[in-house]
Amino acid sequence: MKDNHRSRTNALHAVVALLPIVAGTLAPALVSAQTASTRISAGTGIQREKVVIPIAEGKWTGPRTSDGQPDIAGHWSNPIANQNNWTDPQGGVPGDPARPNGPAGKREDRAPSRVSDPPDGQVPFQPWARAKQQEFLAYFHNPVRPEYIEPFARCAPGGVPKSFVWHGYEVRQYPGYIVFLFNSGTRIIHLDGKPHLPASIKLWNADSRGHWEGNTLVVDVTNNNAKARFGRTGEFASENVHITERYVFSPDGKRYNYVATIEDPTVYTRPWTATIPARKYTERDETDGWHYEVYPANHDGNEPIDEAYERICVENNGGFGNVAVTTSNAH
Amino acid sequence: MRTILLLAAFLAASAVDSAALAAAPGTKIPRLPSGKPDFSGIWQTTSAADFDLEPHSARKDAQPGPGIVEGDVIPYLPAALERKKKNFDSRLTADPRVKCWTLGTPRGVYYPEPFQILQRDRDLTLVFQFGNSVRTIHTNGTRHPIETDNEFWLGDSRGRWDGDTLVVDVTDFNDETWLDRAGNFHSTKLHVVERWTFLDPDTLEYAATLEDPDVFSRPWKINVILNRHREKNFQLIEDYCYTLDYDQYYPEPTTNAAEPEATDRAAAVRPASP
Repeated sequence: MKDNHRSRTNALHAVVALLPIVAGTLAPALVSAQTASTRISAGTGIQREKVVIPIAEGKWTGPRTSDGQPDIAGHWSNPIANQNNWTDPQGGVPGDPARPNGPAGKREDRAPSRVSDPPDGQVPFQPWARAKQQEFLAYFHNPVRPEYIEPFARCAPGGVPKSFVWHGYEVRQYPGYIVFLFNSGTRIIHLDGKPHLPASIKLWNADSRGHWEGNTLVVDVTNNNAKARFGRTGEFASENVHITERYVFSPDGKRYNYVATIEDPTVYTRPWTATIPARKYTERDETDGWHYEVYPANHDGNEPIDEAYERICVENNGGFGNVAVTTSNAH
Repeated sequence: MRTILLLAAFLAASAVDSAALAAAPGTKIPRLPSGKPDFSGIWQTTSAADFDLEPHSARKDAQPGPGIVEGDVIPYLPAALERKKKNFDSRLTADPRVKCWTLGTPRGVYYPEPFQILQRDRDLTLVFQFGNSVRTIHTNGTRHPIETDNEFWLGDSRGRWDGDTLVVDVTDFNDETWLDRAGNFHSTKLHVVERWTFLDPDTLEYAATLEDPDVFSRPWKINVILNRHREKNFQLIEDYCYTLDYDQYYPEPTTNAAEPEATDRAAAVRPASP
């Protein structure tokens, strides 16, 4: 175990992980933890959209990198919600003591489940696995045992696929590699044709081998250590999980949809599909403390350059629950 | 005219010690399409630098090594030397490495685990296997942030090209990291100037000058060789070392989950693995 408060800076992960932000303005605690945050604008929330805009697979007509890949480098974030709830993304964490009556309004007024198949929007768990997920969720706000504390709250990487619903992230692109610099964890996708790691090696971010099909980055994901839950609602896979990701980029390069087929016969009754949209952020966007956490670079040019600082999580070692009851609600 | 050019070249070459070692003229080194040297690849030192930057004989927890400090001795201020000695005495538990904290700069470069450089014209991304931490060296003409109290684990790195040598100015450090396993340390005022130079396509010379007015009496230099990993299909294997302390609590849920044995890596002395 590490000490609390390792650093006076870069404690963002711990702070943000514990803020029950769902919508509305950013909590003061978050803003004060930022440096050079002068461009943070009020009124920007995590939840900016309620629908997933379909993007068809097809040819790529946009700009390309020097080695011929569709150029997708830059900053991205999902506009729907954080990882509070996998299947009702804008519904908050069930059992949140701060919201005893659950989310306001009707289910159809919120964004759809991230489970786009089966049609009912639910992960097709085997009965024992459903019980495990429900058990984790039941203790989420009252983690009486260490295993009920989300490893993510202790700085573990978000893993696949949760990293796509946790803060904005940066994509850097190279001949042979695409690198995701997530807010919590770093993932290197190999485009170099080399084989997967030996099956005995299990990793938080799994092992990723990708190739391009037109506007779609196709990534085969194995070697997942399956320790990261998909969200605070506790959905999970086992080490046997095999994920096939299709990142479908829009012709203007401003959006992509993450469409992942998730197979795991030890946990699910059938393969299922997760869909998570993302939109690109550039210097034309306002920075904020969640989607676009960048700072203006110090340089002589006239064009603004935004840059992200190092992302190093500071150990918190606290359960979500014991902070959720002491932090004022943002909604 | 030719004589003048040759003289200029000679003077330029002798201006820097390391130039004597630098890739011989005509040696092909990897280059980006822009013509700049391309350091992309997976690198690792075979030196014993991380055990102790200074010359040292064998210890239970360290292989012997000739040291990588120019002049052999780190020029500590008196009070700082006392602290260094305390660090040394408690190194088996106090070294941030055994807590799996981010190694910092320059330690990550000569730590005995591989790191990968991914390079574009605008920046170099260094991914260290230990902790899977990421350091960006900006090479787009930007300067250090105007605010100087950021206190980064890896510092703020701004690079420029001096011929085929990448010169990196690193500031804005926190004081949580050590320089090696022997308790050598620094304050938030650490300032590192690195020089990265190809010796041949598979070998880099890494030289750095360290200064810190709160800890050292004068700037001092280190110099280490980095070798390219050329094993078939070699790649980084993410090492989120700090998660191992709580790994035992997260078996993947199964119908009959068995409790895996707890591992206490923090207490283990890790051998070098070059």
